[in-house]
Amino acid sequence: MSLVPASLGPIRPAFLTRVTPAARLIAGLTWLVAAIVTLDPIVPIRLTLAAVAALVFWSGLPLRRIPRRMAPLGFAILSLTFFSIVLAASNGDRSLAAVLEIGPVRITAPAVSAGLAIGLRVVVIGLTTLLVFGPSDPTRMADSLVQQWHVPDRFAYGTLGAMRVAPFMADDWAVIGAARHLRGIGAGSPASRIRDAADRLVVMLVAAIRGAERLALAMDARGFDSGVRRSHFRELRVTWRDWLTIGVAFGVAVAAVALPR
Amino acid sequence: MTESASGPSSPPAIEADGLGWTYAGRSRPALAGLTFRLEPGRTLLVLGPSGSGKSTLARALAGLVPHTLTGTWRGRLRVGDMDVETTPARFLGERVGLVFQDPDCQLVMARVDDEVAFGLENRGWPRARMEARVPEALAQVGLGGFDLRGTATLSGGEKQRLAIADVIAARPSLIVLDEPTANLDPPGMYDTLEQLAVLARRREHTIVLIEHRLEAALPMADDVLLIDDEGRQLTFASADSVGRRAVSLLRRSGAWVPGAWSGVDVPAAGIEAAAETIAARPVRRPEQALLQAVDLGLDYPSDESGAHRALDGVSLEARSGERIAIVGPNGAGKSTLLFVLCGLRRPTRGRVGLRSIAGAGGGAGGAGEKLRDPSRLRAGEIASRIGLVFQDPELGFVARTARDEVAATELAARSGRGRALPPPDSDGVLARFGLGELAGQDPFRLSQGEQRRLSLAALIIRPPAVLLLDEPTFGLDRRGTESVMTLLDELRATGQAQLLATHDPRLLPHCDRVVALDRGRVVFDGSPERFLAEPPYSPAEPWRSGTGSAAGLALAAGTGSAASAGPAASAGPALAAGAGPAAGAEVLR
Repeated sequence: MSLVPASLGPIRPAFLTRVTPAARLIAGLTWLVAAIVTLDPIVPIRLTLAAVAALVFWSGLPLRRIPRRMAPLGFAILSLTFFSIVLAASNGDRSLAAVLEIGPVRITAPAVSAGLAIGLRVVVIGLTTLLVFGPSDPTRMADSLVQQWHVPDRFAYGTLGAMRVAPFMADDWAVIGAARHLRGIGAGSPASRIRDAADRLVVMLVAAIRGAERLALAMDARGFDSGVRRSHFRELRVTWRDWLTIGVAFGVAVAAVALPR
Repeated sequence: MTESASGPSSPPAIEADGLGWTYAGRSRPALAGLTFRLEPGRTLLVLGPSGSGKSTLARALAGLVPHTLTGTWRGRLRVGDMDVETTPARFLGERVGLVFQDPDCQLVMARVDDEVAFGLENRGWPRARMEARVPEALAQVGLGGFDLRGTATLSGGEKQRLAIADVIAARPSLIVLDEPTANLDPPGMYDTLEQLAVLARRREHTIVLIEHRLEAALPMADDVLLIDDEGRQLTFASADSVGRRAVSLLRRSGAWVPGAWSGVDVPAAGIEAAAETIAARPVRRPEQALLQAVDLGLDYPSDESGAHRALDGVSLEARSGERIAIVGPNGAGKSTLLFVLCGLRRPTRGRVGLRSIAGAGGGAGGAGEKLRDPSRLRAGEIASRIGLVFQDPELGFVARTARDEVAATELAARSGRGRALPPPDSDGVLARFGLGELAGQDPFRLSQGEQRRLSLAALIIRPPAVLLLDEPTFGLDRRGTESVMTLLDELRATGQAQLLATHDPRLLPHCDRVVALDRGRVVFDGSPERFLAEPPYSPAEPWRSGTGSAAGLALAAGTGSAASAGPAASAGPALAAGAGPAAGAEVLR
């Protein structure tokens, strides 16, 4: 259910895997800015094409795997597009010709254009996330933030530890529900169902806090954040690849916005 | 490797003098008056019942007590030339490595090499040294070549060996292991203890091993420290001199001893009353199958590249009063099977049928009742037919006090209609199982053993016809295990059928049948005697009686003749005791 790949390390050695995560983050931000500042669908379409090309050629993600990776966003993209089109203000403007008219529902061309622009922006955000986070595992991202941007260790690696434990919470939620179901608890009126969900949440949070405490103790026992200056097992070096990536990304963003539509 | 030879330093590795600790907010000390001296390179085995402060000692040696956790310190503790009370935790952390019980709560990184490097990074090692040391440490625990594996893909035993690699990587002079095998299946336990024995024999590190299972740990120990349940030192002696006297001390302390459960142990005080109630043999109604599973199959979701199915052609029948052990390595399908049997997962093939006990309070129950598919039962109908106790009892608690927890199923079953009925006798149930004083307590605040007992006590008032248990004794000492089994015997006396998924071979003699799974298939279905004699696994050693054979080590002389002859012999007394279906109850009395 995540945009970040579960597999560790690169899918196959690709150009973007040798770019530091921080550089990928900057490069990605230029595209997000470009996608957000414009209102028409043309810019997101250009960026979508560029992102797909970059994923296939430089991050080593095969074309056929892209839809699956984007699946978690599928619902958001479709619903946003649909409601933006149906509920657009321009639909009420009688001076505009209707593209489609079903009973009281009337849809105009500007509404379609604006709706597509919104949906496509989410597509660009998703693809850019894949480009930024996909080529390496989360540990490299934390390393990069600490080494290049001097994000505090406690925050970066603490978050990393929490991310590793997060999947257990989903399991816990299922187990808690199962236990209650089997004891015949929580069925019945909608009110009792809501109360039941609240109780489940409390149990899950207590379990999560317990788990976090144990992990924190284990990290402390291994000298984490003990005042010694941390060294780095994997040193990230800024190379020409980083500058090239940022430069190309910036160029593409400018071109997508500035080229005639 | 040459560097580590200098590990043992001149002063004693550990010197405790009247050491005591009371956690903030508690009145009773966790540790009181420990006084002992451990020489460098030796292996100390720490024994004591649950709640005896063994973990507190481990935390003190690593400096988490008093530097990370808060409380009151007494006496003196030195690790090498450092005074724990006054030395900042980071200096202690350079000398002391701590391995915890649960592998999932101590691995920080997603990849094996990053995981080993984490502790070295924290200590500021230069990169070149880390690059040389990480593969070396992995090789020392038998994980050579695992560098790029994801930590989530490792088995329990591999995870625990990785945790050991994590601590030895920094070349600590002292390694402290807090029940490192409690969460592992027999092969994982075997692997881990074998690596530990190798480590102990090399004498590069001083080792403090906390372990319930004396028979597995004693052979590698040089010295033994025994703590009672008040956190006081009972004895500190060399392992060779631990003779019958110590064994009787241990029995009283609740630790596992070789050939434990041979029936001579005195049950803990609170349990005696409960044991009285199982004087009557379980009521057996052999004709009635309460659970019937036919040809169950379950495929993994397509993207998991499982070479085998999660369940493959599993057929199973459980009759009233019958107790069945379900065994198998991690990933064999035990938990999946339990979930399918109680209708929480639908099988891809096959079917499950449940019926309630004839004449029980379930209402429609009766000998002629049809078998019902659990996934189609309404919440109100399912509770009388099947129950599931999870490995982690915490997640199953539904109430805020122990008293409400025991009453919850009954009250849900009455669902408002029974306002006129008297409230269920929760306090009576709790008192019978030694939980009386805890009636008003939040279930989350109880100890692990108390939680396990409460999760079973909650099933007493309205017992389900079939009870599924996932690792009911995991992490418990002998006393805790006995009280859980006593509760199970009482439940069985109502005619209940019980299925126990377990890693603990010591429970098998107390079951009527053993069903062994491997890769989703039933590879054995027969008597416990036959299973223990010829486990259907390869290698078979870890599955034989307990961990007596672990690491291929014979027990130290003088600790009892039964276990010293190896796995087959140590299975002897337990098997003799468990010969009949009701013998479990007799043994516990």
